[in-house]
Amino acid sequence: MKSYSLRFKKQISEVFIIKPNDLGSEFLTCWFKKLTLLLKRFPFLYLLPLATLIACLLYLFLGKRIVVITSFLQYGF
Amino acid sequence: MVFRKKKIVDIIASFILVIRNFCFLIIYPYKGMRKISLENDYWQIFFIFLMVFIYFKLAYFLRGNFYPTIFTFFIFLANFFLMISFFYGLGKIFNWKIKKTALIFTFSYSLLPTLIWFFTTLFFYFVLPPPRTFSLMGRTFSIFFITFSLTVLFWKLILFYLALRFSTQVSFFKIFYLILLFLLWYAPYSVLLYYLKIFRVPFI
Repeated sequence: MKSYSLRFKKQISEVFIIKPNDLGSEFLTCWFKKLTLLLKRFPFLYLLPLATLIACLLYLFLGKRIVVITSFLQYGF
Repeated sequence: MVFRKKKIVDIIASFILVIRNFCFLIIYPYKGMRKISLENDYWQIFFIFLMVFIYFKLAYFLRGNFYPTIFTFFIFLANFFLMISFFYGLGKIFNWKIKKTALIFTFSYSLLPTLIWFFTTLFFYFVLPPPRTFSLMGRTFSIFFITFSLTVLFWKLILFYLALRFSTQVSFFKIFYLILLFLLWYAPYSVLLYYLKIFRVPFI
């Protein structure tokens, strides 16, 4: 029982290591919290579709020039 | 003898912790970075830097870079500690409760997306060597590669933000300005490194 209590205390102190974010306005803080909540657990669920969308838009706008960007990145290491 | 055995066990435990923390950064980045900011086992940093060194060595052997591995690694270390000193210095100027150990640990772990991107790019360089063609396959791979690169970049940005959040303990806007100030000198510095052919894509 004592060890559970100690673990709980440790967990709580770890969670409150930093103060919650305050963006100045209630509206902004609320939306910021909603948005960051999605990114706290397995963010790839949202990042991957977003990146696919941006890549497709890049292809639509740049056309064949997208190949040049890829070649540049592939030489990038 | 007992002492040496204990040391070996400690080192193995540190390696397991690195793997565990990497998994945390993939599944629960926020919780993972919070845990990492409380770490104080420097063997974990050693393992991360060892992975970076292995990457530089591989890149040197497989691609034949202009500079030797030791030199590139030294430049990487200089960049890394320059970046940490910059944030630490700013934190001290503004009298923030900045933690040097947390800064070192969180930024070391935020190298995970960088390592994944560079190792994958190295792999694709040999599987599908550039330059890409305008064929259907070339364009499809381009979209795939840019999607992958953007995903890793977004993940890197999240980890970079969290690293600053947990080590400086300041709010979102202050971190945003900190990153802008950082980019003010780091962007031209990266261009310089590009022209010197040390890093074509910044290794941070």
